[in-house]
Amino acid sequence: MANLEFPWLGEQGAHDARSVGGKAANLSLLAADFRVPPGFCIPPTAFEALDLDVSAPNPGTGDASYWDTGAGERFAALIGAAYSDLAGKTGTPEPGVAVRSSGIDEDGQSASLAGLHDTFLNVVGVHPIADAALKCLASAFTDRAVAYRRDRGIDERAAGLAVLVQHLVPADVSAVAFSADPVTGDRSQVVINANWGLGESVASGTVTPDTFTVSKASKASKALSGTAVSDKAVMTVPVPGGVKEVNVPKMMRSMPCLNEGKATEIGQLAVALEQHMGYPVDVECAFMGDVLYLLQCRPVTTLG
Amino acid sequence: MDDTQTAGGPPPPLPIPDNFPVTWENPADEMAFWHIDPVHFPTTVTPAMEIFGDAFTKGVDRSLGAYEMPIRLQHRRINTYFYMGNTLAVPPDQLEAQGAKAEARLKEAVGAFPDRWDNEWLPEVKEHIAFWDGFDLAGASPEALAAHYDETRERLARLWDIHFLLEVPAILSMSLFDEVYKDLLGDEDKLASFKLLQGFGNKTVEGGHVLWGLSKQALKSDAVKSAIQDHPNGEVVAALEASEDGRGFLVEFKKYLAEFGQRTDVFCELGAPSWEEDPSTPISNLKDFITQPDRDVEAELAHNAAERDEAIADARAQLAGYPQAARDQFEFLLSRAQFGTRMHEDHNYWIDQMTSDKVRRMVLGIGNRLLAAGSVEDANDVFYLTPDEIREAAVSNGTGDRRTTVTERKAEMEHFGAIQPPPMGTPPPDGEPTDPMGMAMVKFFGARPQESGQSGVVSGNAGFPGKVTGTARIIRTLADADRLGQGDILVTTTTMPAWTPLFGTASAVVTDAGGVLSHCAIVAREYGIPAVVGTGNGTTAIKDGQTIEVDGSAGEVRVLA
Repeated sequence: MANLEFPWLGEQGAHDARSVGGKAANLSLLAADFRVPPGFCIPPTAFEALDLDVSAPNPGTGDASYWDTGAGERFAALIGAAYSDLAGKTGTPEPGVAVRSSGIDEDGQSASLAGLHDTFLNVVGVHPIADAALKCLASAFTDRAVAYRRDRGIDERAAGLAVLVQHLVPADVSAVAFSADPVTGDRSQVVINANWGLGESVASGTVTPDTFTVSKASKASKALSGTAVSDKAVMTVPVPGGVKEVNVPKMMRSMPCLNEGKATEIGQLAVALEQHMGYPVDVECAFMGDVLYLLQCRPVTTLG
Repeated sequence: MDDTQTAGGPPPPLPIPDNFPVTWENPADEMAFWHIDPVHFPTTVTPAMEIFGDAFTKGVDRSLGAYEMPIRLQHRRINTYFYMGNTLAVPPDQLEAQGAKAEARLKEAVGAFPDRWDNEWLPEVKEHIAFWDGFDLAGASPEALAAHYDETRERLARLWDIHFLLEVPAILSMSLFDEVYKDLLGDEDKLASFKLLQGFGNKTVEGGHVLWGLSKQALKSDAVKSAIQDHPNGEVVAALEASEDGRGFLVEFKKYLAEFGQRTDVFCELGAPSWEEDPSTPISNLKDFITQPDRDVEAELAHNAAERDEAIADARAQLAGYPQAARDQFEFLLSRAQFGTRMHEDHNYWIDQMTSDKVRRMVLGIGNRLLAAGSVEDANDVFYLTPDEIREAAVSNGTGDRRTTVTERKAEMEHFGAIQPPPMGTPPPDGEPTDPMGMAMVKFFGARPQESGQSGVVSGNAGFPGKVTGTARIIRTLADADRLGQGDILVTTTTMPAWTPLFGTASAVVTDAGGVLSHCAIVAREYGIPAVVGTGNGTTAIKDGQTIEVDGSAGEVRVLA
C-alpha cells in the first residue's frame, strides 16, 4: 500500500522536492521558520494509489455522483479530512484555497512549469477542491505541457506532478518586496511594491502599485525611508468561486495601502529571509489585519 | 487647466428673446447662467415668492460657504418665473484649489450629518416652528406684525441654510455609495445600489400610508364610502358632516391633515393653499384608494424592506474577502446613504413644506388685514404683492388700495404662463462634471436628456427597474390627477412630495425632469413601480391615452399604440 498521507507545509514530509515538487518543498521549508498560510500537498503517489485516472480530463466535472463511488469517493474523503484540518488551522469554517501544481521535475530555482498548469484560486468546499486538484493534474497532459517536457528531455510521465492546496489568505494588502533594489542594485534598502487586495494586480502589472523603501540598517519599528503613493485604479479580490479584478473605491485610490509600521515589518521580513537564504530575495507577502503572511520567496534574479 | 477655455474666453451671453425681455440690474448678472429648475419650479410663481427666494439665496450662501464650495446659487424672479443662477464664489483660477477644500469639508460632512440632523438641526427646526405657532397673527399690533414679518424672513433664511447643510451631504452620500457599489460589485445593473437603500419609508411615504389607512376605514361604513365616492371633491367634507360615521371619519381625516397637510400642490408656492386649507387633492386620492380594497401598502413596504435586506446580505457575502478598508468604506457609505435617502424626503416635510406653510399663514394674516381694510378683494391676493409691499401692508394695518396692482400682476403671470421660459445669461461650458458633488447633482437633476434616435421611443434616466405596459395619462397639475385610473401610467413634468399618493395608483411613472436621486425616483423605489425620469420631452412626445411600455431598467418608454 502506497502512502496516502497528505503532508502539510512545514512538516518533514513536505520538505522533500522529490515527493511534493519544488514549489511546495520550498514553501514547506519556509513554513518551518516563517508564517506561511497553511496548506497540504497531494503527492503523485497518492493519485496512483487511489487508482485515479489522471489522464482523463475533468473526471469530476458535471457529475456529482463521481464523488460517491470508487476512487472518486476515496479521494474526496481524503480531501475532506485534510480540509477539515485546514478549517481548524485557519479558524475559518470554509476557508478558500488556492489549488496549484508543484512539479517534481522543477528544481525550484530554475525554469518553472507552473505557467503551463492550471491554477485555481479561492476554491471553497470539498468537492470543488477535489475537482480542482484533478483538473490541475490533467493540465499536465495538455499538448502544450507534453511538448514542453519532451523538448526539454523531461520525463514524459505524469507521475512528476504534485498538487498543493493552500489557504488563500483574503488579503487586505499584498506586496512584493526586494531585499536589494532590482533596478539600481542598491543593497542597503528593501523596495516594496504594494496594492490593496490579493497579489495578482501587483504581480501582473495591471496597476502601478505604491512603492515604499525601508532602510535595512535600521532596527527601529518605523524605518520607512521613502514612499511613492500611486493612483491605484484596480485591485484583485477573492469572490465566491474565484477571484476578480475590481475598481479601487475612489477614496482609497490615493491612500497609501501600508502605514509605516506595516511597511517596516515587510522590510524586516525581507531582511530575515535574505539572511536565512544567504542571497538577495524577492518576497511575496500579504497582510490580513495585522498579521503578515509569507507567500513566496525567490532569489532576486536581475542583480548583476 | 483647460487650454481651450482660457484661449477662447467665456462663451457669449444668450440672446434675449423679444417675448421675454429682461434688464439686468447688475451687469455681472448677465455672466451667470440663469435657468428654470424644472424639478422644483416648472411654472410661474407669485411675487410673494421673492420672500422664499431671498431666504433661499441667503441659505445657499451660508451653507455652501460653510462647506467652502466654490459655487453659489442665486435666484431672480424673471418675467414671473423662478430663475436660478449658478455663479462662482471664487475667481476661475482658484476653482480647483477651492474644490479641493470643499471635498475635504464634504467628506467630514458625510460623516457628521446624521448626528447633526438628529441632535442639532431637527431640534432647531422644531424651535422655529414653535415660534410661528406661538405668534398671535390676528391680535398683533401693526408694529409687532411688521417685526414678526422681519424675524420670519431671518428665520426662513436660517432654515434654508439648514436645508442645504443637510441636503448637500445627504445627496452626496447617496451618490458616493452608488459609486463605491459600482466600483466594488460592478456596474452591469445601473440601479442595483439603490435596492440597498429602499424600504425604509420616510415622512412622504408615511403620509401616503396614513391616507391608505383612512381609505380602509372609509370602506367599513357605507355612509362614509358614499360621501367620498358620490360627491365632487369640494362637497365631500359637507357630505361627511351629514352622518355620525362621517363625522367620526372627519376627526381622523383632520388629524391626518394636521400632521401631513402642510403641503401644497405646487412646490413651496406661498400663494398656493395647503391641503389643510383645501383638501381636494387628498380627497381625490381617497376616492381612488377605496377602489383598491385588496391592496396592502404596508405589506408592499415590508416586501421592499425584505428585498433590501436580501440585497445587503448578498453584497456583504460578495465582499467578505475584500480588503477591510474597502468593506469599511462600503459600510460607512451604506449607512450614510440610507440616512440620506430618508432625509432627502423627510427634509421636505420639515423644511420645504412645514416652514413654507408657516410663512404662508403669516402672509395670509397680513392678507386678512388688507381684506378687512378693503384694499384687496380676496385675502389670497396678498401673494401678488412684493415682499416690500407686504411689509408696508403690515405696517399700515392693511390700508392702501392694492386692487389695481393685484390685477396687473395676475395678468402678467397669465401672459408669461403661456410662454416657455428660455435659459438666460451665459451658459456654462459643455461637459459632465467630474467632481463628487457635481456628479451627485447630475443624479438628482438628471443628465441632459438624449434623443433616443428611434421613432416612438422616449429615453430618460433609469429610475426603478421593471417593465409595465399601460395607458399613458399626461397629468400636469394635481388638480388634473382625477383622470389617473388604477394601472394607468403617470406621465408628468415633475413630481414633488405632494404627488406621492398617486404612486399608489399608477403602475409606472415617467417625468420630464429629474435623475436617479430625484424625489420621483426615490418614491418610485419605495412604491416599487417602474420609473423613467428626466426624459426632457415625455409630456409632449407621449400623447394622453396612448398605450406605452415603460422600461425602468433601460430608462426607455416605447409608444405601442
